[in-house]
Amino acid sequence: MNDSLLMLTVVAAIGLGTPLIFATIGEIITERSGILNLGVQGMMLMGAVAGFWATFTTGSLLLGVLAAVVAGAALSSIHAFTSITLRANQIVSGLALAIFGAGLASFLGKIGNDPLVGNPSREVFEPLFTGWLVDLPLVGPLLFGHDLLVYVSWLVAGIASYYLFHTRMGLSLRAVGEDPASAEAAGVNVSKVRYVHVLTGGALAGLGGAYFSLALVPTWQDDPIGAAGWIAIALVILSSWRPWRAVFAAYLFGAASRVQFTLQTLGEPWSDIPSTLLSMLPFVLAIIAMIVLTSGKRARYLGAPAALAIPYFREER
Amino acid sequence: MAARRFIVEPRGLVSWKVRLLVPVLSVIAALVVGAIFLALTGENPFDVYGQMVDSAFGSSRALSETLITATPLILTGVAAAIAFKMLVWNIGGEGQFIMGAIFASGFAIWLGDGAPAYIALPVVIVAGGLGGAFWASIAAIPRVYLGTNEIITTLMLNFIALSFMNFLIFGSSSPWRDPAVSTFPQGRPIPESARLPEIFNRLDGGLFIAIALAVGAWYLIGKTTWGFEVRIVGDSADTARYAGIGVARKILGIFLLSGAYAGFAGGLFVSGPVGALDPRSLDLGLGFTGIIVAALAGLHILAVIPVAILMAALVNSGPALQSIGVPTATVTMLQGAILIFVVAGEFFIRNRVRRLEPEPTPEPVEVEAT
Repeated sequence: MNDSLLMLTVVAAIGLGTPLIFATIGEIITERSGILNLGVQGMMLMGAVAGFWATFTTGSLLLGVLAAVVAGAALSSIHAFTSITLRANQIVSGLALAIFGAGLASFLGKIGNDPLVGNPSREVFEPLFTGWLVDLPLVGPLLFGHDLLVYVSWLVAGIASYYLFHTRMGLSLRAVGEDPASAEAAGVNVSKVRYVHVLTGGALAGLGGAYFSLALVPTWQDDPIGAAGWIAIALVILSSWRPWRAVFAAYLFGAASRVQFTLQTLGEPWSDIPSTLLSMLPFVLAIIAMIVLTSGKRARYLGAPAALAIPYFREER
Repeated sequence: MAARRFIVEPRGLVSWKVRLLVPVLSVIAALVVGAIFLALTGENPFDVYGQMVDSAFGSSRALSETLITATPLILTGVAAAIAFKMLVWNIGGEGQFIMGAIFASGFAIWLGDGAPAYIALPVVIVAGGLGGAFWASIAAIPRVYLGTNEIITTLMLNFIALSFMNFLIFGSSSPWRDPAVSTFPQGRPIPESARLPEIFNRLDGGLFIAIALAVGAWYLIGKTTWGFEVRIVGDSADTARYAGIGVARKILGIFLLSGAYAGFAGGLFVSGPVGALDPRSLDLGLGFTGIIVAALAGLHILAVIPVAILMAALVNSGPALQSIGVPTATVTMLQGAILIFVVAGEFFIRNRVRRLEPEPTPEPVEVEAT
């Protein structure tokens, strides 16, 4: 039963969805503050390279994760500065971040006499539990078959959800994203709240990137994350800015990006579908879901922050 | 209270000097950032930049290669500029470029060798535009009539177009694929009659068509009634609605026009230097780079032309860097840095920042910092 195709697919989807969970929840937190950061791809790539590099030099996964978090947050601070302090166009600024981060990550992976590229990671996130726990039917692979970061991703979803909807700070955050002027009048420091949450989003995106280079594909290659950063931006809308929904949306897209392996296992005629067509599936899914779920006034009811991507400035004096 | 040392005030009219200064300073600042990273990683930035300039402008051959790359960038730059100016966030230039190339090569192959050049060439170029507009319409129609966020849909359509091109060449025996080559799949060469004639080295007439199309877009938006109404929609949809302008149709029109321009770029690139639906020559990010071109040009359509040439020089210098052991990604990094500084520089176009005169304080007072 644990070897059935469905089970294998679900388990693989959990693995492939995990980096998407981190990045999507990070972007949810960022967007809840009213800042749209399209630079997720760049932040994930920076996290991936920084995490890989730190683990490669120190042999410590913990330091790798820390480096990834710092790198993601550092890159996002550029976007925070341009969009919050300079009130720049958030769309163009985010795209700039995506391009810059991708370029810098690739650059850092290839530069020097002994570049990272092609090297396997010294340490890899391995499944946490072994033995009879994993062999339990159904719950074994589903609950106990994962590495540490999968459990961290569930924890992040839980904490983010609690923070957003059950804490005072979460309320302030949502107020800033909905109506910054009123939030300011109520005594909330809009700029500070936005800075903190843009950086948090960047940190989580960096962690998501590191999941690729330290768990999913633990050999440094030039483009280790595919289009995960772009998918994460779509997942924010599809999960209607709610962390728990992001988990399930991420798993759905994890499964979609693995569909060619699944079909290969099924054999003829399914295995005859060209992989170039199947690689479209996550993107087609995203577009259809966008059109069906988020069109018109529905987007507003879903929970889109009203002040999203609108620069805010206090009238001074 | 901590004293504010700077005061920010909006500029009224912005002089052309300021408008020019910001992009120039952005490029310089990006080069400085790049130099820092190069120096930190043990490279000599002057050598690297010298190599880049040399590989882009150093010979007549290099110059014509730069202009070949500039041709599609002019059009994808115009595509982004006209859309962004109307607050239509068409990030899908890449996909529209590829779809333009697919349509253009498809029509060229369908026409075959029999059609004379004066029929084949216009058909191929128009087909490119149609392909781009068609691909844009998949995002544009939901955006206009359902309110679907076009940023995400156009982004996703980029990946779908790329996969589709790969499918046509690598994943199927489509008419686009060269049946003569069986080892490694390639695009089928389009008939000679559908190829733009070469003028100088490999440079073809596409550059002049691209410039003419850019001027056409400038005229359409700057000088016609339709363009005037479109600009009103871009400035304020409410004003436009009040003036009786059909806002939805204007946005749809500009979105499709933007897609068509990115598609023209794909069509001209196939008809000019590439000559086939060749994924390796077409998957260079020229559509996406158009966004950087447009931003650096301040969304001014005519300014796109010189900026595209500059950006083409940057793009073309990438492969030359590899020969001196510097990653091609340096170019991407510089592009991103340029765009970051341009976005940040907007602030200084819109606002004047000056030092606040110190208030006359007769005696030193302990100020409590907060």
